[in-house]
Amino acid sequence: MKEIAGYLPPGFGDNLDYQTLSFQRNEESIQITIPLLSENQISNLAAQIKNNSQRVLKLFTVNQIINIIDQTIAVFLDRSSPFRQKAEKLLPVITGYDKEIIRLGLTSYLKSFRKPQLYRFLTEDFNNPMLLDEFQPRPKGGFSKAVGLDLLVHIWAGNVPALPLWSLISGLIVKSGNIGKVSSNEPLFAGLFVKALVEVEPRLADCIAVIWWKGGDHARERSLWSQADGVIGYGSNQSLSSLREHIPITTRFLPFGHKISFGVVSKISLDSRKAIQTAHNAALDIVRYDQQGCYSPHFYFVQKGGRITPREYARMIGHELACFEKRYPRQSLSLAEMTANTAWRNREELSIFLETSKEIMSDPSGKWAVVYEENTQEIIPSCLNRVIKVVAIDDFEQIVDFVVPFRSLLQTVGLAASPQELFDISNILTKSGVTRITALGSMTSPESGWHHDGRFNLLDLVNMVDIEQRAEEYAERFAPYVD
Amino acid sequence: MKDQHLLDYLHTFIDQNDCSDDQFNECALTLFSYQYKNNIPFQKYCLQKGKTPRTVKTWQQIPAVPINAFKELTLSCADPATAERIFMTSGTTQKVQGKHYHPSLSVYDLSMIRNFKERFIGAHEKIQMGILFPTEDEMPNSSLAHYLALAVRKFGKEDSQYFINGHGLELYPLMDKMEHVEKTAEPYALLGASYSFVHLLDELENMGKVYKLPSGSKILDTGGFKNKAREIELNAFYDRLSQYLGVHRKNCINMYGMTELSTQFYDDGNDVVPSHKSGPHWIRTRVINPLTGEDVRKGDQGVLVHCDLANFNSVSTILTEDIGIETEKGFLLLGRAKGAEAKGCSLTVEELFQARKGN
Repeated sequence: MKEIAGYLPPGFGDNLDYQTLSFQRNEESIQITIPLLSENQISNLAAQIKNNSQRVLKLFTVNQIINIIDQTIAVFLDRSSPFRQKAEKLLPVITGYDKEIIRLGLTSYLKSFRKPQLYRFLTEDFNNPMLLDEFQPRPKGGFSKAVGLDLLVHIWAGNVPALPLWSLISGLIVKSGNIGKVSSNEPLFAGLFVKALVEVEPRLADCIAVIWWKGGDHARERSLWSQADGVIGYGSNQSLSSLREHIPITTRFLPFGHKISFGVVSKISLDSRKAIQTAHNAALDIVRYDQQGCYSPHFYFVQKGGRITPREYARMIGHELACFEKRYPRQSLSLAEMTANTAWRNREELSIFLETSKEIMSDPSGKWAVVYEENTQEIIPSCLNRVIKVVAIDDFEQIVDFVVPFRSLLQTVGLAASPQELFDISNILTKSGVTRITALGSMTSPESGWHHDGRFNLLDLVNMVDIEQRAEEYAERFAPYVD
Repeated sequence: MKDQHLLDYLHTFIDQNDCSDDQFNECALTLFSYQYKNNIPFQKYCLQKGKTPRTVKTWQQIPAVPINAFKELTLSCADPATAERIFMTSGTTQKVQGKHYHPSLSVYDLSMIRNFKERFIGAHEKIQMGILFPTEDEMPNSSLAHYLALAVRKFGKEDSQYFINGHGLELYPLMDKMEHVEKTAEPYALLGASYSFVHLLDELENMGKVYKLPSGSKILDTGGFKNKAREIELNAFYDRLSQYLGVHRKNCINMYGMTELSTQFYDDGNDVVPSHKSGPHWIRTRVINPLTGEDVRKGDQGVLVHCDLANFNSVSTILTEDIGIETEKGFLLLGRAKGAEAKGCSLTVEELFQARKGN
C-alpha cells in the first residue's frame, strides 16, 4: 500500500524531493511518501505562509474559524467519510496499535474539538473571545486585541495518533500560519486533517503546511527558525534542549517534554463492590495507547486499610489487564522495545531477592505485568507498554516523598477517592508539582481547555496589543468635532 | 575440592571431539541440577520462573539468567571467598561491576585452549604474538587479560610481547617489531581489544606508515565498538586493518566473549561483515524473543541466549543483551540492543535517570 502524507499549499509542487517511510505490521505494509523540502524551499514556504497568515487568515473571524474546524472534525467523526476510513485503515499499521483502540481513541479525542468544546477552549483563555477579532474594551480602561503569531512551527512527537491536533487547532484559532513537522513514527494524521480542512474552506489552502525532515537537520531547521515567530516542540527533554539551542531568542519557544503521571486509590474505593470497577478503570488508563501518553500512569499508589488490600487490588488490575489483552491487544513491539522491557522486568525480578514483599504478576508471553511493592524507599518508573507498579501506602502524605525526585516531570493524577479526600489529596499533590487531577479511568482523555503542563493553550500563542486609555483620551483632542 | 568429579566429568566432555544432541542435553541437565542445588540465588530465580530439575527436561528449558544478575547477585556454587579468581565486567556505564567467580580456572583454561587452538592457531604449533592489551598482573580481574595471557603462555613463541603499558600503546616498540617481522618472513599474530587496533591504525595513518606482515600472519580483535553504526564501522575497520598491516580480511578473526561466560565464539575471518560466529561443542546458542523467551523463527532477529557447559560454578545459561540471527554456520552478531527510543510523550526510564542525575 502506498500513501502520500503531509500537506503543501497548491502551487508548491515543483521540483520536490520525497522521502519514503516504510511501516510493516504482520502481513501488512505501507509506504508513506512525504515531501522533503530543501533549505530554500523551506524558506520560501515559511515566507509564503507567514504572508498568508496576515493576508488571509487574520481576516477570518474566530467564529468562522471555529465553524471550519467543527465541520472538519465532523468529517472525521463520520465513519463513512473517506478521511476517517483512511485513518482507521492506515493508523493501526503505522503505529502498531490495535484497530479498536485506534477507532475508540480517535472518536473520544476528536469529540473534544467540536464547536461547543472549542468555545470552552476559547473562553478558558479569553474571557472575551472577540479579543481575537477586534480591539475590545478592558476593565482597567483602554482597549486590547490578541494577535496570533504570524508563523507558528510545530515539532510533533510520535506515538499517540492524532495528537498534533492540539497544537494545530490552537494555532488556527489564534489565526497563526502553521508549519508542522510530523514524526516519522506517525507521519499521516496531521496531513490528512489539513487536507480535509482545506476541502471545507479552500481559502485556508495557502496558510498551512505539514512536512517532514530528520530531526536535528540544522541546515533545514535554521531556514525555518529565522522566520518563525513561535515554535511548539514535543519530545524528550534531550531533543527539546537541542532545539532550544538553535532557536533565536526572539522566537517564542514552547517546549512540552516527556512527563510522568500516576494514579491514587483511596481505601474508600476498595470495598468488595467498588474495587472491581476501580481496578477496571485503572487498567483502562494503562491500556489506552499502552501508556505512551504524557498523561499515562507509571504507578498507582494504593492506600492500605480498605476491605481489599493493595496486594489484592494489584492482582485485580492484573486480571483486568489479562481481559483487556483479549479484546484490545497491546501494540506489537520492536526488538529494541522488547529488550528494554525485558531488561526492566529482569531488574524487578532480581530485586525480589532483596525485597521479599514484592510481587510480580505477568502474562507468560510478556503482554502485561503488574509489580506490587510495599515498604519500598524509592520507586522506578514503568518501562511502559502495559507494565504498572502498584505501591502500597498508609497515608497520602507519603506520596510526596515518592514523587519528589520527579517534581519537574509530573503531570496527571488519576484519582479514586471521596469528595473530601479529593481536595485533601489535590492540595498535597499540588505541592509536589502535579498539574492535572482527574478521575481514574479518564487519565488519557483530558478535557477541552485543560492547561497542558499547567500552561495556557491559546494565550501563549498570541501577543496582546494594548491601546492605553491615555491614547484614547489624547486622540479625543484631535477629533474634528472637538468642542 | 568437593566437586572434583563434576570437574572430571566436564574435562572429559570438553576433551571429546564432538557431542550428540543427547550428550549435550545430558551434560547441561547434570550441570543445571548441580547449580540449582548449590547456587541459592539461582535456585530462587528458578523457583520464581517455576522451573526445577524435575520440570526441566532439555537444555533449552533451563532458565536463562540475565547478565545484569551478575551485578545484583552472588552467583556461585562454591563459597565465593574461596574463589581462585574473580572476573569482573568493565562496568563503564554503571558503577556496579558484574562478578564471575571461578573456584578453579581449570575448566575455563581447558575451554579456552582447545577452542583457541582450533579456531585461531590452526596448523601452527606456536606463533609469535603481539598483545594490544594490559597484562594479567595489571588487570587481575579482567577475563580478557587472562585469556590473552593464556594464549601467549600456551601458543606464543618466546619473543611474544605486550605493547600496552600504563601509559597506553607502546607504538614505537611495536613498529620496530613489525619492521623486524616483515624482514624475517615469519608469521606474526596481533591480538587485542578492537579499540586498541583503532588507535594503532589512527597512528599509522597519521604517520603514513604501511606494513605488510608476512604470509600466515593473523589478527584477533575482540570487544567491538560501542555506540557506532556497526556494519559500516566494521567494514571500514577490517579494510584498514588489511590496508595498514597487510593481513587479509579473511585472516582477521573476531572473538566474541563475555565476562559472564567461560567459552568464546569466533568467526572464520571477516571477508564479509557481519561474520558468522560459532563456538565449540560445549556451548550452544538460542535466538529468542526476549519477552516470551521462545525461539524466534530461523532468520529473524532476536536476543542471544548462550548455554555454556564450561560455566560450571555460576550459571550455565545466560540471557545477553546482544542481538543476532541464527544461521546454518552459527549466528550473526548484530550488536548490542539499545534501549528503545522513546516514541510517545511519556518519560522513559533512561531519561529519568538522567533527570535525576541533574538534580
